[in-house]
Amino acid sequence: MAVVTRVGANGTGGGMLGRDARAQYAAIARMRWLMFRNGLRSIHGLLDLGATGIAWMLYSVFGLCLGIGLCTAAYSLASRASWQYLPILFWAISFLWLMFPIAIASFQEQSDLGILLRFPVRFGSYFILYLISGLMEASTFVGVLCCLGVWLGIVIARPDLYLWAALGLSVFAVFNILLVRAVFAWIDRWLAQRKTREILGAVFMVLFVCLLVINSVWSQKRYEGSKNHKEAAAPLREVMDKYAPLLKTGAQVQQGLPPGLGARTLQQALEQKPVAGFASLGMLGLWVVLAGGALAGRLKAQYRGENLSWASSRDKAIGRGGGWTLGGSRPFAAIVEKELRSLLRSVPLLWAVSVPLLFVLVIAGVFHRSPSSDMNSFPFAFPLCVAYALLGFTGLFYNNLGAEGAGIQLLFISPTPIRTVLLAKNLLHSILFVLVGFAAGILSCLRLGVPPFVVLAATGAWLVFALPCNLAAGIIFSLTMPYRINPGRITRPAGAQANTLPAALIQLGVLGVGVFVFWLCWSSKSRWLPVPIFLALAVGAIFVWMRILHYSDGNANQHRDSLIATLMKAE
Amino acid sequence: MEIPAIQTNGLTRFFGALAAVEDVTLSVAPGQFFGFLGPNGAGKSTTIKMLTGLLEPSAGTIDILGQRFGPEARELKRQIGVVPEGMALLGRLTAPEYLHFVGRMYGLDAATTNQRTEELLEFMQLAGEGRKLVTDFSHGMQKKLAMAAAVIHGPKVLFLDEPFEGVDAIAAGMLKNMLTGMINRGATVFLTTHVLEIVERLCSHVAIISKGRLVAIGSLDELRAGVASALPGVEQGQRFTLEEIFLAILGADGHPESTQELSWLL
Repeated sequence: MAVVTRVGANGTGGGMLGRDARAQYAAIARMRWLMFRNGLRSIHGLLDLGATGIAWMLYSVFGLCLGIGLCTAAYSLASRASWQYLPILFWAISFLWLMFPIAIASFQEQSDLGILLRFPVRFGSYFILYLISGLMEASTFVGVLCCLGVWLGIVIARPDLYLWAALGLSVFAVFNILLVRAVFAWIDRWLAQRKTREILGAVFMVLFVCLLVINSVWSQKRYEGSKNHKEAAAPLREVMDKYAPLLKTGAQVQQGLPPGLGARTLQQALEQKPVAGFASLGMLGLWVVLAGGALAGRLKAQYRGENLSWASSRDKAIGRGGGWTLGGSRPFAAIVEKELRSLLRSVPLLWAVSVPLLFVLVIAGVFHRSPSSDMNSFPFAFPLCVAYALLGFTGLFYNNLGAEGAGIQLLFISPTPIRTVLLAKNLLHSILFVLVGFAAGILSCLRLGVPPFVVLAATGAWLVFALPCNLAAGIIFSLTMPYRINPGRITRPAGAQANTLPAALIQLGVLGVGVFVFWLCWSSKSRWLPVPIFLALAVGAIFVWMRILHYSDGNANQHRDSLIATLMKAE
Repeated sequence: MEIPAIQTNGLTRFFGALAAVEDVTLSVAPGQFFGFLGPNGAGKSTTIKMLTGLLEPSAGTIDILGQRFGPEARELKRQIGVVPEGMALLGRLTAPEYLHFVGRMYGLDAATTNQRTEELLEFMQLAGEGRKLVTDFSHGMQKKLAMAAAVIHGPKVLFLDEPFEGVDAIAAGMLKNMLTGMINRGATVFLTTHVLEIVERLCSHVAIISKGRLVAIGSLDELRAGVASALPGVEQGQRFTLEEIFLAILGADGHPESTQELSWLL
């Protein structure tokens, strides 16, 4: 006789912490553990583990440095009772929490919880699992370290505030966790639809241009001011006076926003106003609910079975068919054309390529702190900005077959040698990089002024060396440590670290060679010497690249099985 | 003596200690519609992957159209068309773009590629889907596109791994006609499928693989005769279906009838 067990409304007994839900969490945790353990059977899995460990060490160092900095700042503010400046720290943390995952999006892994939808999982459980997967991200780790730093700084200066500081910072941290998760969940959704994707792209471009204009205007003011220190203060004072009412309004408005509320909670606790403090905390709690609601709304749609690729299919169906064809009928032209079309249709790849440009502005700002600074005072700024743009090409250079998916089979079935495929990809990616590098150079010039010609020449020569180095290493990585790229997501799939981190280290190595040569020659007053040195190194790098390309067919055949298996892996 | 279109000798593939395909020796004559059958996990896809250059054999040789086949046999690859297990599609292209790409990868000139692309899209009833990305195609449409890509360069030997899976009856009929036409014009088709009726209707010769080993090979009539002589109590003139032949040859390996019951099922 069949036994029918009573089940809950959603097919599971109990709530999201009930017996069934707990059994599901345990099953998922065990599944993740087994996947991790089984992954270690392969060299790739071991490399991935090692790379992940190193990546987290780097995140830890970054987070600790920031935490110590914020601790010092918070201590300084708390010991001087300059509480009115505390919101600046909270805003900085919020900004970092949001920007850090964007900056490292193409290095960050993301697990897809969509596979859980086939099981009778409650929405609450789905929500919790989504949050837990978010807790294990680098941005949360760094953000929490920053919050701890602020807490420690305040507590050292004012031990009586430890509870209030802990309470305020905890709610603030929860808000940021929810906000970042909600923002990313919505970005995924917007990127999946043509109309919202275009709006998002336009907003991004407008922000980018605004930042560019503000930066160059501000730089100009500072540059003018740097001629005379007394005059230097004048433009700033002018600006402050001119916009004083606006700044005042801004300061008032920010008090109602989460970073301002977090700081206000502490300020009111200090002023012995616990009721007001709790009110601010309650307001911050409302923001937490709001961010949680935004996230829940998005996840609810996913939970109901919304498929982002399906969402994209409807608008792509009426999209442009692509009426252009590159000249020539040879396989080389075919691959370049296919690669270009795929790239233009993959927002995450475009994102990865273009985001470094945004950060070039930030990097340029780092070299512009002193009013007396200009390009002549720090000549490495220009090459460093151009080199940074290279980071966006990590995926294209070092995993250049990753976007093929099942199409990788065609490359082995067809009579076209793999080296032709790789050569075509390398050349297209190089052209794209030259364009992006050029844009980064222009941005850097707008921010810092045009560098001396010798720096331009040396940077160009370094690029001639750096490009084949990256291409050569990229071919080896692409054939031996590929990972499948999901064209609908900014983040990388699990298991990509084995490729990503060593690739980043090689890029850093190539950059290190450049910095060393630059430094050596400049310190010995031989400013033109880097050019012939880099060109000589470039000859060697090009030779190595050509040899690696020459042997790429054999290498590809040697790794054919794992290459096909990895790239055809179901998402 | 006629050169076989496909000839394997001692074809073997190990995955670690497991022999997925072991010592497979077979010969397919030109113009033959050859069915390659076997239960799940028998080694069909592994064999076809080795025959098409997607997997390296651990041992044994492959000759296609009289030439030794390997990763470097590029000219030979121009004579081969493949619909592999994963279909080898590029999701971010439209169907015409994909066919253009494939045609050019096989070295066709632009005019020929254009003309064949149009014809194939029309023939496969995909002409109206020219603006849709391949990733958004239904499974059946993807199969049709994969089939179109496999024949755009006019191959002499066609390898098809489950080409009819997920394809509607009308499209399946159309594909069958196309394949029959190719056979009539001298092409060779090597087909793996689980749909035995299709094999029975289309194929003149069949091989059955089980646990990585070839257990039967021959024309359908030869297999029928073999089964009739091996089975006791078979009446004179009794005509076996391919399914009966399949089950008779595989016996317990094929799990024809399970006597076990699953206690929790109603």
